[in-house]
Amino acid sequence: MKRQKWLSYTGIMIMLVLLTLTFIWHLSIGTKTIPISDLIHSFYAYDESNFNHLIIQELRFPRALIAACVGACLAVAGALMQGVTRNPLADPGLLGMMTGGALAVVYWSTFVDVDSLVWLPLIAAIGSLVSAMIVWSIASRAPGGLTSLNLILAGSAFTAFSAALLAIHHLIDQQTFEEMRTWLVGSLLASNIDIFYWCLPWIVIGLLAAIILAPSVTALSMGEEVATGLGINIKKRKWQLLICVVILTSVSIALAGPLGFIGLVIPHVVRFFVGADYRWIIPYCILLGAIYLLFIDSIARWIIQPQEVATGLITVLIGAPLFVLLVKMKVR
Amino acid sequence: MLFTLRLFKQGLSLQFVTLAVLWCFILLAILFITLAVSATTGSYPLSLHDSVSTLLGQNQWLIDSQASLIVWEFRLPRSLVAILSGALFGLSGALLQNMTRNPLADPSLVGISQGAALAVVILTIVFPEYIDTWREIAAFSGAIFVAMIIQLLRGKGHPLKFILLGIGVAAFISAIISTLLTYGDIQSAMDALSWLAGSVHSASWHDVSILSIALFIVCCIALYQARTMSVIGLGDEVAIGLGTNLKKVMLIQLTLSVAAAAIATAVVGPIGFIGLLAPHLARNIVRSGPANHLILTALVGALLVLVADIIGKTVFAPTQLAAGLVTSLIGAPLFAYLLIKNNHK
Repeated sequence: MKRQKWLSYTGIMIMLVLLTLTFIWHLSIGTKTIPISDLIHSFYAYDESNFNHLIIQELRFPRALIAACVGACLAVAGALMQGVTRNPLADPGLLGMMTGGALAVVYWSTFVDVDSLVWLPLIAAIGSLVSAMIVWSIASRAPGGLTSLNLILAGSAFTAFSAALLAIHHLIDQQTFEEMRTWLVGSLLASNIDIFYWCLPWIVIGLLAAIILAPSVTALSMGEEVATGLGINIKKRKWQLLICVVILTSVSIALAGPLGFIGLVIPHVVRFFVGADYRWIIPYCILLGAIYLLFIDSIARWIIQPQEVATGLITVLIGAPLFVLLVKMKVR
Repeated sequence: MLFTLRLFKQGLSLQFVTLAVLWCFILLAILFITLAVSATTGSYPLSLHDSVSTLLGQNQWLIDSQASLIVWEFRLPRSLVAILSGALFGLSGALLQNMTRNPLADPSLVGISQGAALAVVILTIVFPEYIDTWREIAAFSGAIFVAMIIQLLRGKGHPLKFILLGIGVAAFISAIISTLLTYGDIQSAMDALSWLAGSVHSASWHDVSILSIALFIVCCIALYQARTMSVIGLGDEVAIGLGTNLKKVMLIQLTLSVAAAAIATAVVGPIGFIGLLAPHLARNIVRSGPANHLILTALVGALLVLVADIIGKTVFAPTQLAAGLVTSLIGAPLFAYLLIKNNHK
């Protein structure tokens, strides 16, 4: 037992080192490759006349920061959902929360004010909360209850519905479409450091709540009877967890648009290495999610220079085959 | 009241319920009326009387050549394409649902439409010069390819697995399509995009002829397969026990379903949820034998797409919504309803 704990701590250390390395890699590559020495200098001896320093501080550093946070948030959201619903295929995107949040944001920025960044995370949160509840209630009323299949079918119906609404909106209002097009496939291209500051408190709250709630997720993942037996107020805890998931998801939507399948991929990889204890799964998800999205985003910027691929497309291209594999292994 | 139709020295015998046959005619009548209404809608005003008389060819002496041009060259082919593709999607869904024994199967949900779409988008963006001649073939090969991948992956699992795998495959293909659209030449990307929304607005008589030939062939084979369809619905063991060559029949029906969806997709683009809704609505209208149910499904599917097109034309006029968007808006909530009401398990 003790040995295992020691292993887990070492794992965290290794992940931290990896995270730092990926972060630096993310900063240094791009259309203009920047040497490491310049990169380090830009942090402690910032020189405004140096073009490299400017690129790092103004463009790449915010983007890397956002990528790391979004990756962490989505991975944790996915892990919590999988634990609570005891459904290996749960993911904020598959259950319609992503498109729901995106729809809310698009409507908000058309009818109200595009510049009011303050409200953006909140609007996304309301959208994804409402869509989560719709999908949830449809699935729980279907025969068999909240099974993987029912949840995903309800989720994909909801996604189809909101995608159609979005498409209609685009047809009628070409201007917002132009502004939103890259954002809607999930891109960190237009990521804005001001939105990030508005989101940061939410990110901290969400991740802290996830860490605090982690032990009860372990209990819930063993079944509701076990959790009740261990003295957990299931209903209350489930609501707390749902709100936590909604916060994490909506922050990511506000920052990077709908990025699919991260919440599905990372928890499974983590669980493969650290087992079923959510006290460890959550911290590992935070780190691995951050590393993963930084890595993907680096590839997205690097693969067809000087252009870049939308990050959300790559996450889906990697995530969807894994989804297929999981269905093949886990469903009956 | 039952009566049985026997053809080809009992090689083909179909059982009909009188009430259901009656409903077929009622639906056919509704379809004709809707067709006439559809010809009146659009930016050029046309009264119902005018449109009917033009359709019936009694408008010659009015010499309102403009009306006749609009009806015959634009509105009629468009409506006919809507009808024919709707029927094909409906039949495809009915076959797929029966084969997978899963009331929620739909070509657009399990990735078959997306496979066709991917092939057509690749063709549009990479080889734009071949698009007119190869579109149907490309769509068909894309769709059959995806169906085969899903079948291979599924193995011997639960029939419901088919859908889950399909959703995964569909997400993957959609991402590739988005990539192509984002980085392809902007002009061909716009062409592909308008096609992807599932629209019938660019329909021509050429499309009508392709679709009607396809519908005729699919209908014939589907009716011929009707008897085995009801046997398969009882379960694999029962079907084998009753002497069905399960492998062969499954292969025929899957190919037929994929072909129907692929050809319709090639012409009008991926129109969602028709394959899901039409069989259910047909079953709710009247209970009938499998052959009759197929005919009803085709009629209901036709009516659905036609109505969706009329709604898309009129609601936000002069902006036209693609029929595929309207069917998604109507279809998704109904899908949720069916998911809740689904008592087949």
